[in-house]
Amino acid sequence: MYFYQDPQFGERMITLMAALVLVLQIAMVGQRWLVTNIRVFAAQSFLLACIANTIAYYNHAPHIYIAAALTLLVKVVFVPILMERLVAKIEIRQEIEPLINVPVSILIAGGLTMVGYVVAESFYHPKEGTSPATLGHNTLAVAISLFLIGFFMMINRRKALTQVLALLSLENGLFLAAISLTYGMPLIVELGVFFDLLVATMVLGILVYRIRETFDSMDVSQLRRLRG
Amino acid sequence: MSKMLGASVFQLVLLLCISPLISGIIKTLKARLQTRRGPGIFQPYRDLNKLLRKQMVIPETASWIFAAAPIMVFATSVLVGLLVPMITADAPLSLFGGVLAVIYLLGLGRFFLALGALDAGSSFGGLGSSREMTISALAEPAMMLAIFTVALSASSTNLSEVVRGAIGQSWRFLAPSQMLAFAALFIVLIAETGRIPVDNPATHLELTMIHEAMILEYSGPYLALIEWGAAVKQLILMTLLINIFYPFGLSLQWNAASLAIGCGSYLLKLVILAVLIVLVETTNAKMRLFRVPELLSVAFVLGALALISTFLF
Repeated sequence: MYFYQDPQFGERMITLMAALVLVLQIAMVGQRWLVTNIRVFAAQSFLLACIANTIAYYNHAPHIYIAAALTLLVKVVFVPILMERLVAKIEIRQEIEPLINVPVSILIAGGLTMVGYVVAESFYHPKEGTSPATLGHNTLAVAISLFLIGFFMMINRRKALTQVLALLSLENGLFLAAISLTYGMPLIVELGVFFDLLVATMVLGILVYRIRETFDSMDVSQLRRLRG
Repeated sequence: MSKMLGASVFQLVLLLCISPLISGIIKTLKARLQTRRGPGIFQPYRDLNKLLRKQMVIPETASWIFAAAPIMVFATSVLVGLLVPMITADAPLSLFGGVLAVIYLLGLGRFFLALGALDAGSSFGGLGSSREMTISALAEPAMMLAIFTVALSASSTNLSEVVRGAIGQSWRFLAPSQMLAFAALFIVLIAETGRIPVDNPATHLELTMIHEAMILEYSGPYLALIEWGAAVKQLILMTLLINIFYPFGLSLQWNAASLAIGCGSYLLKLVILAVLIVLVETTNAKMRLFRVPELLSVAFVLGALALISTFLF
């Protein structure tokens, strides 16, 4: 038996990658540049695909491989390219201007992580031994934290495009929770979610473009003004 | 007793000899990455040698603090060096203090350096001191959290105990808490040694300098003491980073073979960390001073997450 067939090793790798996903999420809160933000999101999604692959390998659940491949295709390649094109097309200022300044945002993100851990703790009931079924149970805490920080980023940002990005990272949290708790939803659900995401990104992209055309800005706080 | 004395002398010699070399290696590697030839790796020794033989210029307004500061900086650095395990798991003076002693002795040295800079009476000194104190006040909690993460799993703040605990668990460095703590401590290392995203060690531009602004009025042997002290401090922080998180090859006994292995692996790890620092320094631009708190708040949050995740993972 090779060392990588040991479920303990798999558990360790999943935990490690989940921690990195969390670090990238916090990096996204702290990041000022729009393009870098998109790339951090791509890296985060890549790690997510790796986690999905690892879970698929240790649980012998081949349909998760498809979910992982879709993640790779959609979130690592397609959506980032789409968004970078959009950024280039509408020529906005590269800097993200959050409502709350960066150090405080990062501290809030840290606090939300703690909330995530506390919430996840109540879901966790240690069972007998370390059977492969307990694989990656502690990623739930990370998933909930991703979710909360994603919400916070959506509130904290002015520009429509960065809010879309926050929504996508929030969805990453959902995906992580789904694969770590249930070892993958039925494939048809996953497929639905992915197409949903793809369509949402495209529609939001067009919407962002229109907002920019009409208001000369992507600042959503200007949407209060009515125009005939 | 004599063993402790021998170990102390051995580590002292090692500390004083290696520290300029590491600075030299970092400088040379950096120059090479920027396609310059750069000075040789032994340049810091020549600099120190030259400075020690030069005459001193002391400002008229300076009091005894100006003279005490370099000695305090040097003495605290060397003392801290004896508290940290370098090539053996037992630090020579580990009975006298642990992590807290390390952090606050370094703090004492920094305090005297800032006082000395103020005492010289030039406006740059005051500017440098205030910046240094701001940064260190932000770096300190991050450093505490990161080190406590490791101390927690060894349930001791004594560094020798911490390192011994770390040797026992082979896969421990892959645990998320360790990685997060390592990242936090690495950012602190960059900030404390005045490396590029935070401070530029090679500049004398008044808008950006921090460490250089404080030592602007020093010359001759005093400058040599400060530079040497700073090099020792850098070596200590690097040693902390590599020995706490990656204690491979540390010798547990006092015999020639294990000491040789300890020495070899220690130097190898130091060089790897130096390369990492050089890469960070060359690929980043210096931050504006007002952006530095953002970087350090990242370090703080990483440290806090590390501490939480030791309880939960």
